[in-house]
Amino acid sequence: MHNLNQADVIFGMSPVWFAGGLFVLTYLLIVTERLNRAIISMMAAALMIMSGVLTQQAAVQGVDFNTIGLLTGMMIIVGVTRDSGVFQYLAIRSAKMVKADPWGILVMLMLVTALLSALLDNVTTVLLVAPITLLITDTLKINAYPYLFAEIFASNIGGTATLIGDPPNIMIGSATGLGYNDFLFNLAPIAIFVLLLTMIPIYLIWGRHLTADPQLINKVMLYREKDAIKDWVLLKKSLFVLTLVMLGFIIGHDYGIQPATVAMFGAALLLTLNCLPYSQEKQSQMVTKSLCDIEWITIFFFIGLFILVYGVETTGLLEMLANQVIELTDGDKTVTAMSILFVSATASAIVDNIPFVATMIPLIKNMAVSFGGAEELLPLWWSLALGSCLGGNGSLVGASANLIVAGFAERSGQPIHFLPFMLMAFPLMMMSVLVSSIYLYFRYF
Amino acid sequence: MKASDVMDPNPVTLKPTDTIECAADYIMDRRFRSLPVVDENNCYMGMFGVNCLLKQVIPKAVFLPHGLENVDFIHESFEDLYQRFAEVKDQPISICMNQEIQPIEPDAPLTKTLLQLYQTRASIPIVEPGSCKLLGMISYWDVGERILAAGRIKDA
Repeated sequence: MHNLNQADVIFGMSPVWFAGGLFVLTYLLIVTERLNRAIISMMAAALMIMSGVLTQQAAVQGVDFNTIGLLTGMMIIVGVTRDSGVFQYLAIRSAKMVKADPWGILVMLMLVTALLSALLDNVTTVLLVAPITLLITDTLKINAYPYLFAEIFASNIGGTATLIGDPPNIMIGSATGLGYNDFLFNLAPIAIFVLLLTMIPIYLIWGRHLTADPQLINKVMLYREKDAIKDWVLLKKSLFVLTLVMLGFIIGHDYGIQPATVAMFGAALLLTLNCLPYSQEKQSQMVTKSLCDIEWITIFFFIGLFILVYGVETTGLLEMLANQVIELTDGDKTVTAMSILFVSATASAIVDNIPFVATMIPLIKNMAVSFGGAEELLPLWWSLALGSCLGGNGSLVGASANLIVAGFAERSGQPIHFLPFMLMAFPLMMMSVLVSSIYLYFRYF
Repeated sequence: MKASDVMDPNPVTLKPTDTIECAADYIMDRRFRSLPVVDENNCYMGMFGVNCLLKQVIPKAVFLPHGLENVDFIHESFEDLYQRFAEVKDQPISICMNQEIQPIEPDAPLTKTLLQLYQTRASIPIVEPGSCKLLGMISYWDVGERILAAGRIKDA
């Protein structure tokens, strides 16, 4: 995909070298975390245009508005729904369902976290579950670490299961046209298995030692989960819209309706239902608050990144890299898929999985010719999704949700340190990736 | 008028090593809302008051950034609250004093002082410029009395 308007020489370099150099520099700057990642990606995108690698028109074409629309729409829906208190209700109810038994609570919070992560984004999920976890562990006077560790794993595993669960899946779905059901049928089974499997080492390491005073357990049982619901009317409206949106994701694909359209429609419908009874001024305040709930840093990070990767793609660099990967794997699809799985898992444990996946998508697309068409690439997409989502469990910096949980842990006086976490988490993550490789092998090869 | 004109130059102070229990008894007995904390050199370190005490008895998860926004579902007794207080009562007040209340300089104009008093919603410390030495405290009562007294003089 070469850009006809591209300059032949940029600052004395060929466009391939310039775009490649800018890409590597951007990646390094993101890894150092010295500057906000949205600023870095926007700067890189601007340089890609100003240097002549892309025209502004071409840059806009490079932005995947399906991903942007889906993320934005879901952020609005979740932001409004959160105000109803339903997520707190779920967490408290699940703890009481197991009679506030410490191990039972850990299992239930893992399940709730995984379920919410499959339907919402991971950061939102842990923001909702972690404070309740700290409240419960504080009340039971038990160490919060096993709970927070388990929730990190559950959020990344749960996010793997659906199209909307984790940004890499959203990007893959958007770039390939794979729908909600495709992700559900292909990734949810292994995600559920990995989640259950992960509970075993967590039980052996911590779970079997968890005990609490019966009087303290009684305190948790005294929580009135119904009081966590702040607004019953909003709850009904939110659940109605969320159900419609999920239905839209499931059936919309067959009618050519993109997930972004579904999410944006859901956001607009929920805002309409929520704002309609109020005055113009109040409506403005409510809409402003909802729009402020959007994580604009993530959105602009994505926009800049899409332009950067598109710029690199137009130079033909990714096509060259794809050919080299195929050469390395001798054109063997199984070896290629396994390589993608393990490399993306390891890379995602160390660096942000969003830029990694943004780069891998065009790279894999370029392999279509060698493997006999786009249809043949399916196992590679699932390898990328599994690797990049599960890989986030490998270290504290592997996913944004991990850092959010670590922040909570630190502020509550029970810090999660980088190295001890990684020593425990990396082998567990590799176990999940190994299991995924067996699943991929038997299901697709 | 300047801040130093309305301050109390001899405020009651606490030491950072005072225990939370001791400080709590003191401010409760005398109905103080908050008191300045100073070291052995009279250097201002922060404020300790009823808000610090409340923070110790409310679940920690509430005060975390992005923490629990709704606590309606938690129903606790005074015994539960005391249990939380008991866990920290022997700790020094330095672990929970409020260091966010910005001191003001003695030459600060009255209006600026009043605005800070309004925004802080607590008594504010006056500190020597270029050092941390506490010179006095300004409370709502100090300011209120002076304003009302000015009205009485005018009427007379």
